Amino acid sequence: MLASVKSLFRRQYQEVKAVDGVSFTIDEGELVGFIGPNGAGKTTTLKCLSGLLYPDSGIVSVLGFNPWQRKTEFQKQFALVMGQKNQLWWDLPAMETFILNKEIYEVPNEQFKKTLNELTRLLEVEEILKIQVRKLSLGQRMKCELIAALLHSPKVLFLDEPTIGLDVVMQKKMCDFIKEYNRRYKATIILTSHYMGDVKELCERVIIIDKGKIVFDGKLEEIVEKFAPQKILSVVFSKDFDLRKLEEIGEVEELDFPRAQILVSREASNAAAAELLHHFPVADLNIEEIPIEDVIRQIFSGKKIKSSEE
Amino acid sequence: MKKYWSVLKITFQEYFVYRLNFILWRFRSFVQLLVLYFLWSAVLPQGTVIFGYDQAKILTYILGTSIIRSFILASRSVDVAGEIGSGDLSNFLLRPISYLKYWFVKDIADKVLNLIFSTIEVSLIFILLRPPIIVQTNPAILFYTLIAIILGIVLYFYLSFLLSLIAFWTPENVWPPRFLAMVIIEFFAGSLFPLDILPAGIFNALRLLPFTYLLFFPLNIYLGKLTVGEIFPGLLISLFWIIVFYQLAKTLFKLGLRNYAAWGR
Amino acid sequence: MPMTNRQIVKYLRVWFKLATLAFKIDLSNRFTAVFAITGKAVRFLFFLGFLFLLVGRTKTLAGFNLSQVVFFFLTFNLVDILIQFFLRGVYHFRGQIVSGDFDLVLVKPINPLFRSLSERIDVYDLMTLIVLIIYMIIFLSTGQITITLGGVVLYLLLIISSFIIGLAFHIGVMAVGILTTEVDNVIMIYRDLSAMGRVPIDIYQEPLRTFLTIIVPIAVLMTFPAKALMGLLSWPWVVFSFVISGVFLFGSLRFWKYALTQYSSASS
Repeated sequence: MLASVKSLFRRQYQEVKAVDGVSFTIDEGELVGFIGPNGAGKTTTLKCLSGLLYPDSGIVSVLGFNPWQRKTEFQKQFALVMGQKNQLWWDLPAMETFILNKEIYEVPNEQFKKTLNELTRLLEVEEILKIQVRKLSLGQRMKCELIAALLHSPKVLFLDEPTIGLDVVMQKKMCDFIKEYNRRYKATIILTSHYMGDVKELCERVIIIDKGKIVFDGKLEEIVEKFAPQKILSVVFSKDFDLRKLEEIGEVEELDFPRAQILVSREASNAAAAELLHHFPVADLNIEEIPIEDVIRQIFSGKKIKSSEE
Repeated sequence: MKKYWSVLKITFQEYFVYRLNFILWRFRSFVQLLVLYFLWSAVLPQGTVIFGYDQAKILTYILGTSIIRSFILASRSVDVAGEIGSGDLSNFLLRPISYLKYWFVKDIADKVLNLIFSTIEVSLIFILLRPPIIVQTNPAILFYTLIAIILGIVLYFYLSFLLSLIAFWTPENVWPPRFLAMVIIEFFAGSLFPLDILPAGIFNALRLLPFTYLLFFPLNIYLGKLTVGEIFPGLLISLFWIIVFYQLAKTLFKLGLRNYAAWGR
Repeated sequence: MPMTNRQIVKYLRVWFKLATLAFKIDLSNRFTAVFAITGKAVRFLFFLGFLFLLVGRTKTLAGFNLSQVVFFFLTFNLVDILIQFFLRGVYHFRGQIVSGDFDLVLVKPINPLFRSLSERIDVYDLMTLIVLIIYMIIFLSTGQITITLGGVVLYLLLIISSFIIGLAFHIGVMAVGILTTEVDNVIMIYRDLSAMGRVPIDIYQEPLRTFLTIIVPIAVLMTFPAKALMGLLSWPWVVFSFVISGVFLFGSLRFWKYALTQYSSASS
């Protein structure tokens, strides 16, 4: 009880830097993915780009506008979709919200009809537009939320965790749609997700954020090269032998005879492979990269990727 | 018994966490009191008498009803509707704790807090505005007032609980019926004015209904306007209605549970 | 915020669309509507009856006769319902903020204040308003209160000014909502304070009366228009009313702008 009475008089708040020194440039038509663990600052960054948050310092420019000023001209050219937030009116059919948005974005009738038809065909939702939103499944709702966001043909699209809560099939459909939208309309798309699947599927360029700082900005493939100084030798053996000798090649990560996975440093991978073939009864050998998911997970947990010297 | 004590403790803690909520709630009550106070002061300047009330009597009535309504007409059982609607009721049905008793204890926590603050507010008015009031010293009268108050508390508890049970049948639309009911209850309880200023025929009819026993009746006793011969019938009617509402509450709760289980929560 | 003709048309269209959508939802909720309307009607009649009971006997309340007191009460209802009709969205604002859906409002090319306040327009408020206005016209035409043309004009202008003050309060409440997510209690404070204007504020003692005139201008909101109609409001006070409504509106918009810079929005 004493603790409760105290809180009557004073509460303390802590200051947390959500985003710290983040800088990047994105060109028209790019499809960029932001990855990072929860609380890394991805959503905060998107919100600054949308004009929702007021940055304590720094400059933000989207389509030549300062998003914070929320000029109508700017707002008519971009769209924000957030995985768990709704703009559709719950008790009415999605169509009603579409019409409302049409008025808000001042979309001419003809263009509205044309865009609506294209989008409903692409997403296969013709039948559900007249049903109350509360009666739709999560997947159907997300599709309608997307349509509501795209009716004004925005040039820039911010997607925050768009596939969260969706089943695997829906996720794929979403990703296909996003890819198609980017291809067809040359829209610039920034996507945040903590599902690697989305990012691998969609994005050439990836920005990794951790604890509010940018850790990496570049092509997806380069992540592995930059952060994983090792490769995996994936071996299948044909005969039994003293398995301890494998330690001479590199660090044995997994051993389940006749299969094994051995970590070796990147530069030495070819030599190590040759060594293996010479001295051991090998039936099959592959040189592989550490999976991106593992690399990224290790970046976030702050651990150094294991190197063969340790 | 211990489990009810911890319910009490937790309810207190809930209040301190939502301190802003609570302080604003008290502020609102204070404002409502001010309006009535000034209205009546303006209508009955010192020295005048209307409907058998002089300024001292009427202001005592207003301040008195303000204090006792803070714990008679305040009830957490509003939340019962919320629990039914959200399905949290299921949690309680699993526990060895009587639902009615649980809410009653929660109510008490609410009432004690309200009483403390209401007394502070009324004292504030007393200090700042110095109204003439009547202080009752006759111990017998005080005793009967207390009994009437206790009966009022129990009466309202069951009444409010009953209103919340609507949630079993219309979970999305609990507020409007309750709102209408409260408007009627508050008016006929005498929160705006002492009911005996109404024409005799109307007043006598009202005396048979439960509402007057919430606020008007206790204060009427306090002001010394009733003989013992008049107090007892009142207490009996009050008791009668308590039993009626209690039975209704039990029955409807059982009925409602059957309905509730049908939702398959 | 200077507005072009095109913008005015757009806002009107959006407002009507919002009203239509709200109406469609309400249609399916007749049960709620019946109780809510009945409750409000009963409350109105009860208080009116109470006033008749009270002032009918004493013949005067703070110097006003029964007809005048009733008219004060009617004006209070007019202003109250008018404000409620246009600004009902404030009662749903907390939900928007807490769920984070407000983000999706901010991002759109429409004034977020306008959008949020105009949600859930209640067509029954409109009906009540019309009935009330008709009743007031009948009431005035019985000549119980002497009125002049100038008084009527002033009355209408002051009602508009009262609406602006109410608007300023609501904007302030929403700004507080952004900063603290506390909306419902604050708006209820406004409701209770403005309810002090059910009767002419002359009944309140000093310093409360001054407080209600200058600091929290309930007097300006509720009592002044009726007084002006009865020719009882001196010119300095008329000017004061308009000045106060301008000041409050300006102040509240400033406060709102500040609140937005502090908006942290529900995190995902």
